[in-house]
Amino acid sequence: MRPPRGGGFRGRSDGGGGGRGRGGMKSGNRVVVQPHRHDGVFVAKGKEDALCTRNLVTGESVYGEKRVSVQNEDGTKVEYRVWNPFRSKLAAAILGGVDNIWITPGSRVLYLGAASGTTVSHVSDIVGPTGMVYAVEFSHRSGRDLVNMAKKRTNIIPIIEDARHPAKYRMLVGMVDVIFSDVAQPDQARILALNASYFLKNGGHFVISIKANCIDSTVPAEAVFAQVVKTLQVDQFKPSEQVTLEPFERDHACVVGGYRMPKKQKAAP
Amino acid sequence: MLVLFETPAGFAIFKVVDEGKLTKVEDLWKEFTTCESARQVVNLKAFQKFENTAEALSATTLLIDSKPSKGLRKFLRAHCDGETLAVSDSKLGNAIKEKLKIDCVHNNAVMELMRGLRNQLTELISGLGVQDLSPMSLGLSHSLSRYKLKFSPDKVDTMIIQAIGLLDDLDKELNTYAMRVREWYGWHFPELAKIVQDNIQYAKVVKLMGNRVNAVNLDFSEVLPEDTEAELKEAAVISMGTEVSDLDLLNIRELCDQVLALSEYRAQLYDYLRSRMNTIAPNLTALVGELVGARLIAHTGSLLNLAKQPGSTVQILGAEKALFRALKTKHATPKYGLIFHASLVGQAAPKLKGRISRSLASKTALAVRYDALCDNQDNTMGLENRLKLETRLRVLEGRELGRSAGLKRGKPMIEAYDKDRKKGSGALITPAKTYNPSADMLLEQNGASNEENTAKKRKHEDEEPKPAEEVEKWKKKKRESEVEINGVKNESVGFDAESEGREKKEKRKKKKKTEASMESDEQNAQEISNEHVSKEDKKKKKKQAEVEEVVRREAEEQEESEKSIKKEKKKKKKKKKKEK
Repeated sequence: MRPPRGGGFRGRSDGGGGGRGRGGMKSGNRVVVQPHRHDGVFVAKGKEDALCTRNLVTGESVYGEKRVSVQNEDGTKVEYRVWNPFRSKLAAAILGGVDNIWITPGSRVLYLGAASGTTVSHVSDIVGPTGMVYAVEFSHRSGRDLVNMAKKRTNIIPIIEDARHPAKYRMLVGMVDVIFSDVAQPDQARILALNASYFLKNGGHFVISIKANCIDSTVPAEAVFAQVVKTLQVDQFKPSEQVTLEPFERDHACVVGGYRMPKKQKAAP
Repeated sequence: MLVLFETPAGFAIFKVVDEGKLTKVEDLWKEFTTCESARQVVNLKAFQKFENTAEALSATTLLIDSKPSKGLRKFLRAHCDGETLAVSDSKLGNAIKEKLKIDCVHNNAVMELMRGLRNQLTELISGLGVQDLSPMSLGLSHSLSRYKLKFSPDKVDTMIIQAIGLLDDLDKELNTYAMRVREWYGWHFPELAKIVQDNIQYAKVVKLMGNRVNAVNLDFSEVLPEDTEAELKEAAVISMGTEVSDLDLLNIRELCDQVLALSEYRAQLYDYLRSRMNTIAPNLTALVGELVGARLIAHTGSLLNLAKQPGSTVQILGAEKALFRALKTKHATPKYGLIFHASLVGQAAPKLKGRISRSLASKTALAVRYDALCDNQDNTMGLENRLKLETRLRVLEGRELGRSAGLKRGKPMIEAYDKDRKKGSGALITPAKTYNPSADMLLEQNGASNEENTAKKRKHEDEEPKPAEEVEKWKKKKRESEVEINGVKNESVGFDAESEGREKKEKRKKKKKTEASMESDEQNAQEISNEHVSKEDKKKKKKQAEVEEVVRREAEEQEESEKSIKKEKKKKKKKKKKEK
């Protein structure tokens, strides 16, 4: 005999939820959407603030995230998707206060370690229809989800290849403005350098998310980050800032910098 | 020196105009900042476009493995005579050297050159703009991903979802059209609608007949059974419908053609759906059948989505409205959703449907995961699980039989007290025992009258039932039917039918006992009023009394013998105990 189940099932009726952290984001709340300091990123201010991006494909949720609909003065409706910093390293970096993410509307981004495409979809929202996202992912399971998502968003080019061998996808990718790397491999600095030598333009930028445990779990996290930064500097990279992703991830850091930056001309005395 | 550059549109060979610049590797990038300076370093020698996406895909897949495709080899043979070729992949360079005897070079300078070329690609290759390149790149990447992920067009579940949607649509349309045919033709021959019940047969008859006057001369043996045919021919003669012109009949006939064509197509579509289900999800079909499996997939949107659901969700997929209503009002949740239409649940007894649906749902979830994520193609796992479930069903049935076949000493089963149960028999767990006077054994004096009473009772039962008895029997039936209706209602809400069944039995026993006592009271009253009895009746009574006495004595003897046997057993047991 099934005993009637009342209380324990509140979770069922909740559609998908905006992740573990955003408890205040219930459906039916009124929020105000304002642009963030970074171009293409927005903030939804209500009882609790949430980071969001403008939905490229209105009406669709990629991984069950909440959507916010706003009506403009001229009557058109704009939809935004809430960006969960617990699931996305880039959102965590933005909330951690990084100065410049270099991913702007219209830019071309090479995304290494795309996984199932949750953050890639937000990057695709930011760059908009004029920009381009080349998403590289080696795993077949995640690759399937990535390809399915890319079918709806035409500014994403899915590449199911190992990021260690950029020569294998050289005919699909053009020159890019930014490389975002979230591969979680011990040799990720070398992978980034190799890809940059193929595809990153001079004066381009990189954003790399470093997981200390992944590179060396015996050494303290600060030492790991310093080590990675040094490796990057050897390969013509110029790291400009580093933020920890602290409240959202443990022992993670995000390093942002430039590649083959043009040398500043010394002013003639 | 020549440079081989691969693009999503095709292969390009550039000629390095100024080789001196290659020596200064660090400054090479400055040359490629503007297109004019780039043209000073390299210019396009030859460009070979891919004919179509298939060719592009095959060339690219070979390139990934560092092998030159046929088109590339031809291209190189045609344009690369006597010069060294710069390539981005050293393995590819080696392969080209082997097969075409063209010297290939790959070093830092080459990589810088490639960077520059990539930067200025659209300018250097005239006729290839940015807007051409990106859709080609997109198309090539999607084809390549599909090739990599071993995308097989056989295993696409979109076909199933569309097919089952179409099946439902077709059914609705078919019904609408068939009703229309009946209405329309009913203007001319209304009786036919009642004679021929089946829609397809109706359409065939109308198509064959046209005007009803033709009915007498035609042979309907392929379409209708004989008696229906005879009825039809009779009705055709005496029909009250109006005449219709040939043009109208033509249109009606065309509609009938449509109906028949649609029904044929529906049969074809059903076969197609079954074959697709067996290819895409063989284990799921083995467990629940094609139709239920297809509906489950369509409900969740894709096979992979269905695989992500736990067994408890699979059990109630399709009953969401009832589920959330029950959760909100704190009632019992539904026991089955779409899975109710599976054959395993259908063949279970009503009380066991809930249990079987739960077991079936858990095995179904396993089978779906196997189909969605494993690469195997056979249905052995599904068949094994089905056998397990069938054995389980038999075990459950056996248990049920054992319970209903008779309990120890005739006492009703005591159930656990559950204060949260919404509907129940209240505080009483076992029914109250009532006094049953008919089980009394009275002494001689009253024994005779008792025999008479019993004789009269039986006589009354043998003869036509008296109106009083009829009234009683009707009342009994009414009460029983009320109990049944309540029982059915309870089942539909989702209560445990077993407890209800037990309660029903208890109620019936109660009523029977009370009714028996009432009957005997009434008959006593009757006998008192009918004291003058005729001789014939007395003789009959005496004979019956004698017969009954004999029967009773035999029963008594049997009882006594049983008692004596029991006493002997008890004595034996006592002896054994003493011995121990």
